[in-house]
Amino acid sequence: MNEPSPSTLRRDWPRLLLTLPAHHFSAALREIKEQCQVVDLALPQAGLALLQLRDGALAEPYFIGEIPLARAVVRVTDPEGRQSEGAAQIMDDRAGLARDIAICDAVLAAGLAGEELIHALLTQGTRLRAQIDAERGALLTRTRVDFSLLDGVSEGNDL
Amino acid sequence: MGYVAIRGGGTAIKGSLEALEALRAAEADEGTALSLNTIEHQLRLLTSRILSEGGLYHPPLAALAIKQMQGDTLEAAFALRAYRSTKPRLLTTPVQETEGMRVIRRISSAFKDIPGGQMLGPTTDYALRLMRLELADESPEVFRGIAARFLADTPSEALPQTFPKVVEALRRDGLLPASPPGQGEPFDITREPLVFPIPRSAVLASMARAETGSLLALAYSNMRGYGDVHPTIAELRVGYLPVLLPHPVTGEPVEAGEVLMTECEVVAMYESDEAGAVPVFTLGYGACFGHNETKAISMAVLDRALQKGMKDGPSNPSEDPEFVVLHVDGVDSMGFANHYKMPHYVTFQSDMDRLRTTQIKAEQKKSAQKKGQPE
Repeated sequence: MNEPSPSTLRRDWPRLLLTLPAHHFSAALREIKEQCQVVDLALPQAGLALLQLRDGALAEPYFIGEIPLARAVVRVTDPEGRQSEGAAQIMDDRAGLARDIAICDAVLAAGLAGEELIHALLTQGTRLRAQIDAERGALLTRTRVDFSLLDGVSEGNDL
Repeated sequence: MGYVAIRGGGTAIKGSLEALEALRAAEADEGTALSLNTIEHQLRLLTSRILSEGGLYHPPLAALAIKQMQGDTLEAAFALRAYRSTKPRLLTTPVQETEGMRVIRRISSAFKDIPGGQMLGPTTDYALRLMRLELADESPEVFRGIAARFLADTPSEALPQTFPKVVEALRRDGLLPASPPGQGEPFDITREPLVFPIPRSAVLASMARAETGSLLALAYSNMRGYGDVHPTIAELRVGYLPVLLPHPVTGEPVEAGEVLMTECEVVAMYESDEAGAVPVFTLGYGACFGHNETKAISMAVLDRALQKGMKDGPSNPSEDPEFVVLHVDGVDSMGFANHYKMPHYVTFQSDMDRLRTTQIKAEQKKSAQKKGQPE
């Protein structure tokens, strides 16, 4: 089976990184933080967000409940003086994890020093994501109803 | 008789909490503390229930609440709500469209050939209600191999993760009313008091975190005869909804995570329009966190009943928003029922005093009547 390539789209990065256990970040992030200067542009926070959905009957917005949310916005400057702003808003309780993902976002967005370390994380995340998708896909594939069999056996006698 | 002071209550309360904890661990040497992961996965439908009734999508904390409250769903939901009340709210999400749900189950009782097809997914609908006695003594080896075998036996066929909604097909065919997306700010039941009449968004939010059994009981009353909703399930879907938030730097929508949820649209009988418009079917909508089909269907039936009640006035309890919304919350109703366990010594003393006075007066009246009667 071919190794799936990690997405190059910025909107996909948090999803892929969040698939990994947080301790997978620690070594890579330690190295990046040692090399680069990281400044918080907003205080990393953890709390809740009110989740707003649109109902399927009358298309009206309503609140279904709350979700955990952590967020961070950072500016990263690498040893060559290149700068990039990164941010993360993730469904998690850990402001520190949001900050780590914001750093990854900044590094990847501008190709700063340490980019290859984050790419390795994205590759791991892509692999795990594909596994999760396969497991969910199996729930559909194995349970798809084939009504053509019903039609062939008892035409017009469906329940 | 006045206020009754109690001495020694603090010690008894401390002891009761220790007794509760002792029963949780009563297996002693043979026992193993339940891991949150075990609860979240092996009791996933129970966890789902707490997620929705607690109003907070946090599966590990819902599992912790179940463990802490020893399986009491009402207390577990209460604990989750208490937790959420201690956390700051950072933002309100933009409106999320559930067409983006990554589906694991999708059925319709309206059409067999729905666009994209029907997938039964994980369900007990077709399971025999016979006890599987082999589960009473399940070996760890067999248990660990079940999921892997399921995956290995699955043909590699790439199905889409998202599917079009059945109601949209009905809408395109002119069988449902056109529904331009509503733009108003929804009602936040966690911050604003419910003063009736309330908007539909408050009703939906209240039912989304209502107690499953309460919603079912009221919806059942309507289906059985105290109402007229005879629903057909246009679509029932279970899946993971990606939550998209604007990136703080680029503004582009980015996935913050995903929420397992159940969603249901029911079609009810059409209504003739007095204004002469073309008659169309009516719809009810239900949705909740987690996998809880009974709740989503019950909510959809009640939504339809309440729409009728709000329009024409209620003709039965399930069409009355005040009756439904104020009686389906598990934490509210459990709290009210259980508060009767608290000491009512003074009020009951007063009741007894009044009864004794009334008894004396009744005796006196009886005696007076006897004296006044001729021998």
